[in-house]
Amino acid sequence: MDKYKIDARAKLIITLCLSSIAVFIQNVYVLGFTLVAAILIAMLLGAKLLLVLKSFKKMWFIFAIIVIAQSIFTNAGANLITIGNFSFLSTGGLVKGLEFVLRLAVIVISATIITTSSHREIVQGLIQLKVPYEVAFMVLVAIRFLPIFMGEFRDTVTAIQLRGVDIKRIAFKKKLKMYYYIFNPILINSIKKAHKLSVAMEMRAFRAYPKRTSYLVLKMSLRDYFVILSSVFFTVALIVAYYLFLRGGCFESIINYRA
Amino acid sequence: MPFIEAKDISFSYSNGTEVIKEAGVSIENGEFTGLIGPNGSGKTTIGKLLCGILMPDKGNIFLDKEEISNLELCQIGQVIGYLFQNPDTQIFNVIVKKELSFILELKGFKKSFIDYQTEKMLNLFKLSNLRDSYTFNLSYGEKKRLAIASILINKPKFLILDEPTTGLDIKSKKMLSNILKKLLDRGIGMLVMGHDEDFIKEMAGRTIKIREGRIIG
Repeated sequence: MDKYKIDARAKLIITLCLSSIAVFIQNVYVLGFTLVAAILIAMLLGAKLLLVLKSFKKMWFIFAIIVIAQSIFTNAGANLITIGNFSFLSTGGLVKGLEFVLRLAVIVISATIITTSSHREIVQGLIQLKVPYEVAFMVLVAIRFLPIFMGEFRDTVTAIQLRGVDIKRIAFKKKLKMYYYIFNPILINSIKKAHKLSVAMEMRAFRAYPKRTSYLVLKMSLRDYFVILSSVFFTVALIVAYYLFLRGGCFESIINYRA
Repeated sequence: MPFIEAKDISFSYSNGTEVIKEAGVSIENGEFTGLIGPNGSGKTTIGKLLCGILMPDKGNIFLDKEEISNLELCQIGQVIGYLFQNPDTQIFNVIVKKELSFILELKGFKKSFIDYQTEKMLNLFKLSNLRDSYTFNLSYGEKKRLAIASILINKPKFLILDEPTTGLDIKSKKMLSNILKKLLDRGIGMLVMGHDEDFIKEMAGRTIKIREGRIIG
């Protein structure tokens, strides 16, 4: 995939553009098109999409519940299922649910674009984009520590189950208590880790000098400038066009339809 | 039939590296078994496979004649107590006494029984003077003792201890070996993973050697 190698800053801008489209636009067609574009870009840059989808395997159930909740509480369009006077499912609700799934998928897929660069490159990219070093360093720490916290969470849940606690069948009142027990070690360990890290940083003279130099310096090529400019131009044009012309488009007529 | 039996088990992590290669282990209850090997040889993975935290890609594991894949972790937890390498991940409370009693409270035991068991464990593990201390202020050795005590309050038949002596000074190690000997006398068998050969020899038990995921002796 070296052919499509681009600067970490260009990847950050692409991710920002795709996520902005997902947040600002509420049109199923545009969101669908953005998702296809995000998948293509992620694949061209060598993102491991299957791995990400696998890691979200346990979340699909929650997504499904949110979609159903969106469908139930959005009372618009033609009624598909009604119980008495209450509209349980409507076409407008289904469109809103679909919109939610597409929006989330665009954000997740666009985030995988960043993962095609190393942590160090991403942080350096942020610094060279004039993000304060402290903020960039916090991003790095969050990225580095996330797998550790996930591992600890897994170990803690396993440890409590190995004490003979049946997580699935425990009574609701006790379940709340059990979650307190599970999050206790994670919280304490996080505070401890943060403390140790801060001491280690102080020992290495973090922020001792106002100007910081870096061994790694990212250099943008003509291709990177083209990618950044075209991404920003396309995103701005799409959002402006949407708010000027597309808002209230074909799906709005479905939502506003009353049987 | 042995208490725990693994037949030709193989296991690979998600990155594809085969950590355990067609290993077979038989462990009797009531005796001390040491599993020794260098770093990265697969000791912890074997331990996690034997108590159902991980499932083998190939082969079968039997716990008390029952295929382990048919048992849930909470059912295995009634029989086996597992000590993780890092005691911090298995200390769930901020107060020592509460850490010992909470699991019995969750299981709905009577207060008098919980208090009796808690005191018994505090005395056995020489933690009585620390009963009201914060768990996060304990030393590494005290945390390991507390973690083992919390496991034992659940009355498991067998213990799997992952590197219990790592980070302990000579005095703490001696205290731990005395406690483990007392448990052996009570008929609680144990599998201890580690590279502290002196400790395992002192416990005078059977030794299994592992290297690069294969059982070599």
